[in-house]
Amino acid sequence: MTIYVYFLLCLLTAAATFFARSRRIVHAAGGVFYFVQALLLAHLFLNGGYGTACGSFFAFDAAGTLFFVLMILVSGFVFAHSESYLRNNSLPEYRLYFALLMLLTTALTGVYFADNIAVTWIFLEGTTLCAAGLIYHRRTAQTLEAAWKYLFVCSTGIAMAYLGILLLCTAATRGALSYEALAAAAAEGNPLYLKTAFLLVLCGYSCKMEIFPLYTVGIDANFAAPSPASALLSTGLVNAGFLALLRVYAVLAGSPVFEWVRHVLVLVGVLSLMIGALFLRRTNNYKRFLSYSTVENMGIAAIGLGIGGAGVWAAVFHVVFHTFIKSSLFLQMAVVRQVYNGYRINRLGDYMRINRIGAVGILVGTIAVLAFPPSPLFLSELTILRETLAGDSWWLAIVLLVLLCIVIYSICLRLLRLCYQPNQDELHPSLADRKLSWSALALLLAALVAGIWQPPFLTTLIDRIAQL
Amino acid sequence: MILSLVILYVVTLVYLAITERFRNYASIVCLQGLLLFAIAILRLHAIDTIELLFIGMETLLFKAIVVPAILFAVIRHTKINRVPRPGSSQFNSLVLSIAALAASISIAWYIADPTVDMVFFGVALYALLSGLILIVLRARLFSHMVGFLVIENGVFLFSTAIGIEMPFLINIAILLDILISVLMLGVFFTKIDRKLHADDADTLSHVKD
Repeated sequence: MTIYVYFLLCLLTAAATFFARSRRIVHAAGGVFYFVQALLLAHLFLNGGYGTACGSFFAFDAAGTLFFVLMILVSGFVFAHSESYLRNNSLPEYRLYFALLMLLTTALTGVYFADNIAVTWIFLEGTTLCAAGLIYHRRTAQTLEAAWKYLFVCSTGIAMAYLGILLLCTAATRGALSYEALAAAAAEGNPLYLKTAFLLVLCGYSCKMEIFPLYTVGIDANFAAPSPASALLSTGLVNAGFLALLRVYAVLAGSPVFEWVRHVLVLVGVLSLMIGALFLRRTNNYKRFLSYSTVENMGIAAIGLGIGGAGVWAAVFHVVFHTFIKSSLFLQMAVVRQVYNGYRINRLGDYMRINRIGAVGILVGTIAVLAFPPSPLFLSELTILRETLAGDSWWLAIVLLVLLCIVIYSICLRLLRLCYQPNQDELHPSLADRKLSWSALALLLAALVAGIWQPPFLTTLIDRIAQL
Repeated sequence: MILSLVILYVVTLVYLAITERFRNYASIVCLQGLLLFAIAILRLHAIDTIELLFIGMETLLFKAIVVPAILFAVIRHTKINRVPRPGSSQFNSLVLSIAALAASISIAWYIADPTVDMVFFGVALYALLSGLILIVLRARLFSHMVGFLVIENGVFLFSTAIGIEMPFLINIAILLDILISVLMLGVFFTKIDRKLHADDADTLSHVKD
């Protein structure tokens, strides 16, 4: 019942935002919206909601709870940054953006807590609609193109995923669609049907998780959407894709095709890492650059799932801390745009002189995203590498190391260029909003602290998720 | 009876591969909608009457009337009625479509399992591949849209195969139809035409590295 009340309140708040007659009402509605999120959090942690089922379609399990907490944190930052980022927009554009942001946050919550494969799918489809609206926010030909591609490819992908879900349900069980029932029945399912179903689901969900093969729409979406929204798209939405895939992975864990599923995930992960590594060198836009970094990191997470064992733990850990780091970098990029009015890699420079704290945020973010200690990603990547070697997969370890070297070189070269190379354009830097740079840096510092010391509840949640 | 309708449905998919006129595309989508309506009614007659009525109404209304009507409206509005590219010849398209049909039959035959209706699964797979072929080979956005509708119809067909046990899944397929078809066709397509003044997929190549 709680979750339905939550959905109702969120929808009402989003509707109030959509019809708001001033920016102050939009901000007030935002306050109400995040108060509702706080109430759900209080229900989870103070009222004994965590670990319980909520109706027949939802459950407040460890995975859902962890990703919900992360998403609300990022969404709150995104909301605050968007207020400044969109201050020159007209009221209709302004309120539509925030209403869509609230709807996206609500749909993501639905994906995280869904305990039924069909319900997960419905909410993922819902995220497509909200995200398409955010991508089209600027109403230009480019954003329209990106929104069209996103809507079209995601819909095609999600239709394929639905075919996979139908097949999975038919092959595994007749009637029940909860993950638990599916997992129990998958053990005796027809292996070939299960394999076909997994391929279709993986293909469909890849557009959300930003991994091979449908990663391109995510890149275009992050590029076209306003930077603060990109922070949510490349973390909250990507996590939704990851979690949806993780649940199918857990369903198939007891089936005879699990070994094959893991091989497929390793292959998809390596291909994603390869694409990320190569395109990090090629692109000339900082937002696309960060998006390719997301593809690379999600590829690493897929490899972790593919390796299995401690690799699953590392994959979840990696995704959790990638959320902090990538959202922080995208929020820093929002400040960069305020300064330069663009994201062109070959022309921007001198950021250290123009906005020292923003530049420090980007440099610290570079260290974190490259998984240099004390970045928490160091721990996850090291664990994945160790598991790879423990499994005698030398070829995989070598490929991983080579691709990670390319990633390190590309990221260092390009983000350092922003901070130190002379500005090669006749741009007229305006004053940067240092408060926003500080706030984005706070997210990053939280990640670095957690890299050294993880709070017990966090490790408990990650351990529980990794147990499948 | 159902088998004859499914075979007719397969024929529409083959025809889709060789036709180049948009009016034919829209007519095929309409015909597929009618076929799916008949299949759904015949196949699901055992389920709850209200549920059957809802599924039948939705299939008839959206798949056979509203979506084709929007497609015809787009054709009238854009005044473009043909796939223009010589590169995507009918012959190549037909060969690929036949190969997809052969692959679908082979896969369905090879993994024959009593729990899954082999015919429905094979045809759904063929619809999926036909839609993807249409999206990849044709340059016009209109063809891409039809490709997506073909995939969606294939998914709906397969959902009717297991709908007796799980009518909930058919309702979800319906949700997909209503949300996406109407949104993509009605809103985005008209906006694309207004903003970019073209229907060619090549015009949508500004967002890239």
